[in-house]
Amino acid sequence: MSDSDSHGHYASCKSAKERLVQIQPQEAPAYWKSVAELQNGPRSSGEFPGGLPAAGQSGTTRRDFLALMGFTLAAAGLSGCRAPVQNAIPLLVGSDQFVPGVANWYATTCRGCAASCSLLAKQRDGRPIKIEGNAESSLFGGGTCATGQAMVLSLYDDERLRGPLWQGQPAGWEELDRRVAESVATAKAGSGSIVLLSGTINSPSTRAIISEWRASHPNFLHVEYDATSLSAMRAANQESFGLAVVPHYALDRARVIVGLDADFLGTWLSPVEFTRQYANGRKPEDAPSLHIQFESGMSVTGSNADLRIAVAQSDLGPVAAALLARIARRGGHAGIGPIEDPIDSRKLDAVAEQLWKHRGESLVISGCNDVTVQIVVNTLNVMLGNIGKIIDLTRPSLQRNGDDQAMSDLVEKMNRGEVHTLFMLGVNPAYDYHDPARFLSGLEKVPLSVSFSDRRDETSSHVHAVCPDHHFLEAWGDAEPVATHFSLAQPLIAPLFGTRSAQESLLKWLGHEPADYYTYLRDYWQKNIFRRQRGVPDFQSFWDRSLQEGLVVLPLLHPATEPRIQGNWRAAVHSIREDQAKHRQAGSADRYELDLYESVALRDGRHANNPWLQELPDPISKVTWGNCAAIAPATAAKLKLTDGDVVRLRTVTQQIEVPIFIQPGQHAQTISVALGHGRNKVGRAGQNVGVNAYPLLRVKDGYRLLSAREVTLEKTGRSEKLATTQTHFSMEGRPIVLETSLEELHQSSEVGIEPALPTLWAARPEGEHAWGMAIDMNACTGCSACVVACQAENNVPVVGKDQIERIRIMHWIRLDRYYSGPEEDPVAVHQPMMCQHCQNAPCETVCPVLATTTSSEGLNQQVYNRCIGTRYCANNCPYKVRRFNWYNYTDNPQFDFNMESPLGRMVLNPDVAVRSRGVMEKCSMCVQRIQLAKNVALQGRRELADGDIQTACQQACPTQAIVFGDLKEPNSRVAQLQHSQRRYQVLDELGTRPNVSYLKKVRNPVRTT
Amino acid sequence: MRVQLALLALLGAVLAAGAGAWQLSRIGIHQGYSPAQPIAFPHKVHAGDNQIPCLYCHFAARTSRHAGIPPASVCMNCHNVLEKQTVEIEKLKEAVDLAQPIRWVKVHNLPDFVYFNHSQHVQSGVACQSCHGAVEKMDRVEQVSPLTMGWCLRCHREHAKVPVNDFERAALSLKQKQKPTAGLDCASCHY
Repeated sequence: MSDSDSHGHYASCKSAKERLVQIQPQEAPAYWKSVAELQNGPRSSGEFPGGLPAAGQSGTTRRDFLALMGFTLAAAGLSGCRAPVQNAIPLLVGSDQFVPGVANWYATTCRGCAASCSLLAKQRDGRPIKIEGNAESSLFGGGTCATGQAMVLSLYDDERLRGPLWQGQPAGWEELDRRVAESVATAKAGSGSIVLLSGTINSPSTRAIISEWRASHPNFLHVEYDATSLSAMRAANQESFGLAVVPHYALDRARVIVGLDADFLGTWLSPVEFTRQYANGRKPEDAPSLHIQFESGMSVTGSNADLRIAVAQSDLGPVAAALLARIARRGGHAGIGPIEDPIDSRKLDAVAEQLWKHRGESLVISGCNDVTVQIVVNTLNVMLGNIGKIIDLTRPSLQRNGDDQAMSDLVEKMNRGEVHTLFMLGVNPAYDYHDPARFLSGLEKVPLSVSFSDRRDETSSHVHAVCPDHHFLEAWGDAEPVATHFSLAQPLIAPLFGTRSAQESLLKWLGHEPADYYTYLRDYWQKNIFRRQRGVPDFQSFWDRSLQEGLVVLPLLHPATEPRIQGNWRAAVHSIREDQAKHRQAGSADRYELDLYESVALRDGRHANNPWLQELPDPISKVTWGNCAAIAPATAAKLKLTDGDVVRLRTVTQQIEVPIFIQPGQHAQTISVALGHGRNKVGRAGQNVGVNAYPLLRVKDGYRLLSAREVTLEKTGRSEKLATTQTHFSMEGRPIVLETSLEELHQSSEVGIEPALPTLWAARPEGEHAWGMAIDMNACTGCSACVVACQAENNVPVVGKDQIERIRIMHWIRLDRYYSGPEEDPVAVHQPMMCQHCQNAPCETVCPVLATTTSSEGLNQQVYNRCIGTRYCANNCPYKVRRFNWYNYTDNPQFDFNMESPLGRMVLNPDVAVRSRGVMEKCSMCVQRIQLAKNVALQGRRELADGDIQTACQQACPTQAIVFGDLKEPNSRVAQLQHSQRRYQVLDELGTRPNVSYLKKVRNPVRTT
Repeated sequence: MRVQLALLALLGAVLAAGAGAWQLSRIGIHQGYSPAQPIAFPHKVHAGDNQIPCLYCHFAARTSRHAGIPPASVCMNCHNVLEKQTVEIEKLKEAVDLAQPIRWVKVHNLPDFVYFNHSQHVQSGVACQSCHGAVEKMDRVEQVSPLTMGWCLRCHREHAKVPVNDFERAALSLKQKQKPTAGLDCASCHY
């Protein structure tokens, strides 16, 4: 080596070192994951972060161990000598549609919630095994939510009923049909009414069946009831615009979004659609929209806001009124008296300023089920000129139709004995009604009650007849989530059990001929949808095309006129003001307010028996398996409470005992508790996990508010362990998440790629491709759909609460949520973290058996059959993304989740190995999809194109925050993103050369002073 | 004499240990496995004497990871019209009449931790016989190849051309359209 050479080398090392020092920006925000971490610094996890079993606990001696090992070896050797006979059983009659080993995809519609996203479901060897969004949908795109991803597992739920029940005993369909027909006939003749109590029904054909019931039975009543309803919004829109609808929003067109306790990115109304629109409107390279969120507890939506203002539940109305007063003043509307600002006036001024500046392209959106608040919000939107531009009332959303008042009327009617026959479809009021005792006492007085529930749940265990409905992957159906947007649902598998679709039951009991729902659906589409379209001349082609694509968008039936504001909004403001004054008088420092919110995974509780969803960390608290009461750090300090301390929350009539969780950003006087937990009759996975908070909710003017006032908090002295993943895999305080500001981004022009740090490693042989990934942290909202998508695609096992407490969660992709700023008002950032597929991977160098190596295409590959389980690799991984199989999670009664039962194992992806005990596993970048795409390209005799391969996480992402592709292909999206100004690589200074890059989060702070 | 005996004993021990080690190394290798089938289907008659192409019956091998045993309906395509009757053909017809799927015994078994895709090989022009042997001469199918990783790699190494410089890459990209290269990465088969 010559002198100049060595000098040059030295210089480059030096500059590299300087860069290394500079990597931590001078004013880098200090990030923290939990309050404990903020106060005590990042937790050093030590050598055994999960803890060691206490010595002396085990009864096995060394001698026993050796004896057992000897026996095991001998037994293993002997059993290995025999060839196990495997059978291959082909179909009797083949089909050109069905080739074993080749997946078919069918368009269908999700019924995980009433948002009714369009789906493509994957069927492999006759079994549905994966759900993906239908990219053709103009509403939802190709994204899904975590719940939607997990719906395929609900199909294989062991708790589903095998057939109908009469008085709790298995019965035949004929017997039930006879009994229901008799009851309906008696009801028709008598005075009692026939009632169908259902959740939101946006299926047009099902609504047609209900209309037929109404037409032929004068005493028929249909009541729609949602556990988390938008009933007040409909009532307010009736008053303001004369239309009792839930509007359809266009968040992507709004320049300013003001949310008032509406978690529209997490659970509210249509989160997949909103998340997609939201991210589209917030691309930092264009002019991103500004988002201000007023809320009590930290929600997914709040964690993404540019300005998040924590307010008490009781102040949401006054905040809306105060904003209205400011806007009205600017708009020259008189008549609003002085309103006391519930929060810092400067903040309200700033928000009003932004709204006024973007008149006609702003949006105020509220999730409060309070008519006065909704009227004020309507008036705000009208005065800002947003109606018709951002808010569409002419093509309303049909995703939430529940009517709180009709439901409470029905419960009273039942108690008065005026209901003769009650059908319940998709509801569980004995669990989620605020007064379940009243509902159940009414139910006892109903001569015939029928539930379509798929299991013995809280409600269906009290009815006369259970007529289990199909899972949506077994059933025909249709939906109209937003007016004029229709979608079809088709079965992917013959019904697993003796279930029958609810529609067919209703048709049969109506005496409709034929009672077959498929025929009815087809006829309905022929008579209604087909007639309204112009494109296709004959129905058969139209039907085939609709079924194939899953979607039809029709023109509006009647071009509606623009609604005008009416109604007395001044009265609403007055009422809010009075309510505020009343609450101020009653309030005291030791009385708290309660904020109840829908859980991102379990939603209103109907998915509680889905182990994937139970094990999905909450996007904010990162708590799995159960809910907790989020309280502010200051409040916790005042009451001397720590995480996991069980407290008793008491309203006037009800109480629950729930462990607390210290939540940064939580409003000091408000406690937030997730709904959807604490089911006591749902199945093995979800039984009594968490606490049911529905009984605490307050009813105001007949509307179910997801909040309560005058709540007292008492310590019980007990403490529970929370299975939280938030402090797993500590990054030891290193700069992992980087951010920039919008100003900085638009000013500077430097291009992202820095010359790579010098390396000691020799160049590797390169293959045809170099797979890489780019993750946009500005687009990621933390919704966690990717986590469940990965779990479904890669056969990731569920390990249960106990194992999670020991830091043994198996998820290949995790969403790290970091806070920065003060604990009472932090800003959050979400970072999906999975194997970074380092080119110089630290895991590889420590593996004694070469079980993990880098492929010629840049993938860090883990070979399960080579791995001997030293776990050196996991210890040496700076990203903490490797997962060890501590147990066999398959067919192991200790882990009684889906992989324990033959039925639950039907969801497994046959293209991915099921790992056994003692081996390491981690993200493979969906190598099975890469190989499949290569194979498909080979069969078509063409080259792989950019976009042919989508990893499961990328596909599920509603915001397209994850981009996968070939870094060697200069025009691929992922290669293009490498030139982004925002690009960086995590822990780049270690010289790992990851193939995964991140794009910095962009902050766009709102000046409030 | 004593020394000779000792040497003989040692030789015996070494041979026994060697044979044992060889046996141990053959655990899980089922070369020569030829189980009886529920219907004694002769490949020799079909693929040999009558020269029916492999992919006529095993059509899935073109598009799927599984070559697939043909559905009974494929058998009946011909046997509906053929007049010849044997006991074995009767069994087939009985299965079809009773709608009773046939439980064939799988001959070629790979462990669960390896992914093998028939279509990838068929599309790349690998002859069925390269792995399955001369099936057209077999009355009862027998596993001819050891199906071990070393055996797979012998062929993969021959057909893997990893380009190392721009020239080779360019040269390969001209050829590659016709013939794809075999993977040598672990993750080509293990995932």
